[in-house]
Amino acid sequence: MNKNDYRDMWVFIEHDGETIQPVSLELCCEIRKIADAAGEKLVAVVVGTLPESETEKLMETGVDVILRVSGTGYGYFNVDAYANLFTVLCRKYLPTAVFVGGTINGRDFAPRFACRLPTGCTSDATELVWDPKTTDIEFIEPAVGGKMMAVITVPVMRPQVGTIRPGTFKYVPTGKRPCSVIEETVDFPEAEIRTRVLDFKADDFDESLNIADADVIVCVGNAVKVDSLPKYRELAALLGGKLGCTRPVFDRGVLPFKLVIGQSGVVVKPKLYLSFGVSGAVNHVTGMQDSGCIVAVNKDPDAAIFKYCDYGIVGDMDEVCEQMLRHLRR
Amino acid sequence: MLNILVCVKQVPDVNLVKIDPVTGSLIRKGVPAILNPLDANALEAAVQTKEQYGGTVTCITMGPDQAAEALRECLAAGADKAILLSDRAFANADTLATSYVITSAAKLFGSFDLIFCGKESLDGATGQMGSQLAERFDASQLSSMSLLLAVDEAGKTVTAERELEKGVETAEAKLPCLFTVEKTNYRPRIPNLKSWKASRTAEITTLNSLSIPGLDPAQIGDPGSPTKVPRTYPPVVGESGHMIDEGSTEKNVDTLFELIADVL
Ligand SMILES: Cc1cc2nc3c(=O)[nH]c(=O)nc-3n(C[C@H](O)[C@H](O)[C@H](O)COP(=O)(O)OP(=O)(O)OC[C@H]3O[C@@H](n4cnc5c(N)ncnc54)[C@H](O)[C@@H]3O)c2cc1C
Ligand SMILES: Cc1cc2nc3c(=O)[nH]c(=O)nc-3n(C[C@H](O)[C@H](O)[C@H](O)COP(=O)(O)OP(=O)(O)OC[C@H]3O[C@@H](n4cnc5c(N)ncnc54)[C@H](O)[C@@H]3O)c2cc1C
Repeated sequence: MNKNDYRDMWVFIEHDGETIQPVSLELCCEIRKIADAAGEKLVAVVVGTLPESETEKLMETGVDVILRVSGTGYGYFNVDAYANLFTVLCRKYLPTAVFVGGTINGRDFAPRFACRLPTGCTSDATELVWDPKTTDIEFIEPAVGGKMMAVITVPVMRPQVGTIRPGTFKYVPTGKRPCSVIEETVDFPEAEIRTRVLDFKADDFDESLNIADADVIVCVGNAVKVDSLPKYRELAALLGGKLGCTRPVFDRGVLPFKLVIGQSGVVVKPKLYLSFGVSGAVNHVTGMQDSGCIVAVNKDPDAAIFKYCDYGIVGDMDEVCEQMLRHLRR
Repeated sequence: MLNILVCVKQVPDVNLVKIDPVTGSLIRKGVPAILNPLDANALEAAVQTKEQYGGTVTCITMGPDQAAEALRECLAAGADKAILLSDRAFANADTLATSYVITSAAKLFGSFDLIFCGKESLDGATGQMGSQLAERFDASQLSSMSLLLAVDEAGKTVTAERELEKGVETAEAKLPCLFTVEKTNYRPRIPNLKSWKASRTAEITTLNSLSIPGLDPAQIGDPGSPTKVPRTYPPVVGESGHMIDEGSTEKNVDTLFELIADVL
C-alpha cells in the first residue's frame, strides 16, 4: 500500500431523508480544519436524497465535494448494504480517511467495512490532530478510565477510519466553498440483506431526559445517596435546569443512561454546570468541559474536578445542596 | 441444538489503576484482573438461550495465561466449554488482529449459530469487536440487543429487541447472528457452590499461534495491527478554579450565588 495514492477526507452524512444527524455536520466542521491542514478535499458522502435546505446546511460547512450515492439496498439502515457500499467506494476512490458519526448505526458498519478492506479503525477520539511529518491523523482519546490520554494512529494503512461521538466537536460552519457533485450508483441486492426491522416503539418522550441542550445542569456523582436525589432534582428545577449524572450512578441503577454525561454518554454545554460528589475523571470531563461556568462541590480538596472548575467548594455535597435550596427559597 | 459462542475479555479493573506521580506511568501491580463486566451480561444471555432451546455454550478469550480465570468464571456461570488463546505473538493486537485470531480459532470448533459479545470492554473500550467478529464469521449482527425473543432453528432466523437511541426496535436476522448485549435484561447469575467448584478443575482448551492451523503470522499481534498507540500522556489539567472558602457553608453558598449571578 502506498499512502501517497490516497487523497481526501470523507465524512459519512447520516440522515433520515429529512434532516442530517447533527454529528455528521459537527464532523464536517472539524474535518474541514484537518483537510485544510493536509491540503486535501473534504468530501461528504450522502446516500439517497436530502431536502435542499439540508444540502445547503451541509455546504455551509465548507465541503468541497458531495459524493451522492443511489442504488438498491439503502431503504432502511442495514449493516450489510452500508458495509458493502463503503468497501466499494473506498476501493474506487482511495480516501485517506473516513469519518463516521458514533451513532449506533455508524458504530455498526464502520468497523465492519474497515475489517473488510482491511484497515485500522478507531472510535471515540475526543481530539484530532494532523501530523505534517507523518501525514497521519492522530486520534487522541482518554484511556484507562481517563487516567491517561492515548494517541492512536494508523501509520501504514489507508483509509484511516474513525467513529466520533455526537457532541464531541462543535458545529461552527465556516461558509460555502465551490462544491462539486459526484454521482455514484452502487446496488446492493436486497435479498442479501440479513436483517429486517419488524417493529419500532419510540420511547415515551420525556423532556427531563433530554439534557443535551439544557442551560443549567446539576450533575450528581457516585457519592450521591439515593435518598438525597429529590434535593438535587429540586435544585435543578429551581435553577431552571436539569439533572445529570456520572456513569457509576447509572451503573448502580440509580439514574437512566440518558442522564450520563461524558465520553460514553451525552456531551453537554450548559451555561452553568454544577457538580456534586464528582471526582473529575477525564471520561466525564470530556462531556462537560465546554460548559460556560463550572461549579464543583466535593469533600476531597484534592479532587481532580477542582482543576476543571471555575468555582469550587470543599464540603459535604448534601449540606451544600441544602444550603443552596435554602438560599433559593428565600 | 444451538452452537453458541461467547467472546469474553479479561480486563484490569481500571477504577483501581493508579498513576505513578513521579514517572506518570500506570501502576498495574496489585490491580485485579476481572471478567469484563459487560461480558457477564453477554454470557447470561447466551446461557438463558441455551436453557430455552438446548445447545452448548462455548466461551473464548484471547489473552495471557491468567485469562483462564475469566473463563472459569464463565464456566461457573453456565458455560459448557472454554477456549483460551494465549501466545506472546498475539500481544499488542488491535481489534482487527484480535478478531482474526478469535475467528480463526473458533472455526476449529464447528460453526456457531449465535455469537454473543459485550458492548465494550473496560480497558480498550473501542466497541468495535462485535462488528469485526461478525464480519469475519460472515454473520449478521444485532448490536445493543436487549432481549432475545425467539430463535427459529428450522427457518434459520432469530428475532430480538434492540435498545436504540430513540426507542426499541424489534428486528429479525438470519443465522448465524452476532449480538452485542445490553445489560438491561441479563443480570448475571450468581454461581452456586457446586458449579463454582466444578469450574476450578474444568478443562480449558488452550491454543497458541502454532496450534491454530493456517494462522497467518502477518495478521496477528503487532504486525497484524494497523492501529498503533505511539504515545500516551497524562491528561492536561488546568490551574484550580477559584476556591470558595468563607468559613461556613452558608457564607460559601452566598458567595457562590454572587459569583454566578451573571450566569443565572
Ligand atoms: C471506557 C470508559 C468510559 C467512561 N465513560 C464515562 C462517561 O461517559 N461518563 C462518566 O461520568 N464516567 C465515565 N467513565 C467512568 C469514569 O472513568 C469515572 O469512573 C467516573 O466518571 C467517576 O464518577 P464519579 O466522579 O461520580 O465517582 P467517583 O470517582 O467515585 O467520585 C466520587 C467523588 O465524590 C466525592 N465525595 C464522596 N462523598 C462526598 C460527600 N459526602 N460530599 C461531597 N463529595 C463527596 C469523593 O471525594 C469523590 O471525588 C468511563 C470509564 C471508562 C473506562
Ligand atoms: C487505550 C487503548 C486504545 C485502543 N484503541 C484502539 C483503536 O482505536 N483501534 C483498535 O483497533 N484497537 C484499539 N485498541 C486495542 C484493543 O483494545 C484491543 O484490540 C482489544 O484486544 C480488543 O478491543 P476492545 O478492548 O476495544 O474490545 P471492545 O470492542 O470494546 O469489546 C467488545 C466485546 O468484544 C469481545 N472481546 C474483546 N476483546 C476480546 C478478547 N481479547 N477475547 C475475546 N473477546 C473479546 C468481548 O465480548 C467484548 O465485550 C486500544 C487499546 C487501548 C488500551
